[in-house]
Amino acid sequence: MIRRLSPWSVARALLLGVAALTVTLPLLWVALASFKSPAQLNDPGLVIFNPNLANWARVLEAGILESAGRSAMVAAVTVAISVVAGSMGAYAISAYKAGGSATRFGILAAQVLPPAVLVFPFLTMAYALRLDTTYVPVIFAHLSFVLPVITWFLIGFFDAVPRSLEEQARVDGFSRFAAFRLVVLPQVLPGIGAAAIFGFTLSWNDMFYGLILAPTQETILPVAIAAFNTFRGVELGAMSAAIIIAVVPVVIASFFIQRRLVQGISGGAVKF
Amino acid sequence: MAEVRFNKIRKEYGSTVIVDDIDIVFPDGSLTVLVGPSGCGKSTSLRMLAGLEEISGGEITIDGRVVNGLEPKDRDVAMVFQNYALYPHLTVLENIAFPLRATKTGKQDALRRAQEVADSLGLGALTSRKPKDLSGGQQQRVAIGRAIIREPAVFLFDEPLSNLDAKLRVETRFELMQIQRRLGITAVYVTHDQEEAMTMSDRMVVMKDGRVAQSGQPEEIYARPNSVFVATFVGSPKMNIIAGAIAGGEFRSSMGSRVALGAHVGQESVILGVRPDDLLLTPNPAGLARVALVELLGPRAIVHLDAGGDRLTSVVDADRLSDLSTGIAVDLAVRPGAAHFFDPDTEDRIELS
Repeated sequence: MIRRLSPWSVARALLLGVAALTVTLPLLWVALASFKSPAQLNDPGLVIFNPNLANWARVLEAGILESAGRSAMVAAVTVAISVVAGSMGAYAISAYKAGGSATRFGILAAQVLPPAVLVFPFLTMAYALRLDTTYVPVIFAHLSFVLPVITWFLIGFFDAVPRSLEEQARVDGFSRFAAFRLVVLPQVLPGIGAAAIFGFTLSWNDMFYGLILAPTQETILPVAIAAFNTFRGVELGAMSAAIIIAVVPVVIASFFIQRRLVQGISGGAVKF
Repeated sequence: MAEVRFNKIRKEYGSTVIVDDIDIVFPDGSLTVLVGPSGCGKSTSLRMLAGLEEISGGEITIDGRVVNGLEPKDRDVAMVFQNYALYPHLTVLENIAFPLRATKTGKQDALRRAQEVADSLGLGALTSRKPKDLSGGQQQRVAIGRAIIREPAVFLFDEPLSNLDAKLRVETRFELMQIQRRLGITAVYVTHDQEEAMTMSDRMVVMKDGRVAQSGQPEEIYARPNSVFVATFVGSPKMNIIAGAIAGGEFRSSMGSRVALGAHVGQESVILGVRPDDLLLTPNPAGLARVALVELLGPRAIVHLDAGGDRLTSVVDADRLSDLSTGIAVDLAVRPGAAHFFDPDTEDRIELS
């Protein structure tokens, strides 16, 4: 039996196809470029060629894995703090209407500020506290956007937990906090997992704060990638290899959390 | 085991009064039902007793101890919520054992006791299941098991049966009463269902608009309701209420119908209340009331009457239905001594001889 195609489904497939190509073609091109010699890079249309690993050797030698490690460390600490504080904040907003109805969305208000507004106060504080050779300023800067986003993301998940669960646990002999930890939190673990991965990629991808606030010699990943744009010109091959290293973990992570991601962003409107 | 007292308990949200200075005594070991229409303050009262709502005024004592400022965990109460509030991530056994985690009970000991409770409730074979894999009735039992395991001073039930179907509700009602009697723990039970209140309670507290309309033993409230509200709220089908006057041993409705009363003093203006079981029908072609509809309930039947604008109901034995088909004219009378009278202005009960 042949499925009849409505004009809508054809239009939808076309739109999705265009969107998918827009996203994947540059990535594919970058992946190919990471295996090209400098001469081959002069021909952007070249698809079939003899691949070589010189660019990969070059970026490993330049310490790209160390940078990736630093980025991962910054992101992990940022996410750990954000998940602990954000889950409690999100429950307070969801269950107790903390701060009134405006908090629910107002919590994202700081996102409209350009990062440049915050970065110099952070830098000044970092110097004043003699923390400029550590990652603490980067972590704090990343908290300024990861924490609100994670909190906002989790509110919808907590909305789906009946208030009576907490009340039952309190009557069953537990404090408010124990009720939250033992009974409410386990209900939103999938959401917390998705929020953590989402927050991790936000931190992982940030270049601006890392560039200004991280110690000069110990760069984090996005800054290390940008460093292949040298005064002798862009080292396209090496930069491509570094970009692939940065992008692959994000792509894999998004694949695992895609459903929860939609749920979190739509404020829990999607039923699970 | 404990007596619970409400002394002038009040609850306000802003300028809205939800519970208005109520005094209730819940005797030790009794099952007291708070009953009333939605919005009457019964659930709020229960939640104040549990410690889940702040008390705006007055004192609640449990076993002589004022609990106003205490957290729910320090009040030694157990509660069954309408939606059961089972912990979805725990098994049946873990759910029942959960309150023991708050005490210093060892894990093995807690699980062993939970197993005993589960067995006593007929849940023995289901202990490793998660709540979502249970039927409504089984979930309800788990909630009861979790409430009884700690043997609290007071049980609180917030409409625990309203999510069950009618048949299961009657069975569970009976079981709940047996468990409460066996343990002898003071219980406070909230429901909007007057039948549940009548059948279960040792003492019944009828509430309306944040106040106690009447409290006492259910049979006493049924026999002598102190207002039109209580009279119509308690009992099914509802009590007939007719406004009119008494003259010459007869009640004359302002709508035109007549009800024979037997010997009564005359009264200018009064409200008559007659339970459907006490409204007697005699077929008479000259009668002023007409049978509008008959509902057969097995051995008994509800006869709906159109009495000159008053809509009345009577409950009769089914074998009398041959006389009482739709459209038949009847005379009305009240079973001797079964008439209730209320003041037309205050709607309070008055006694007429």
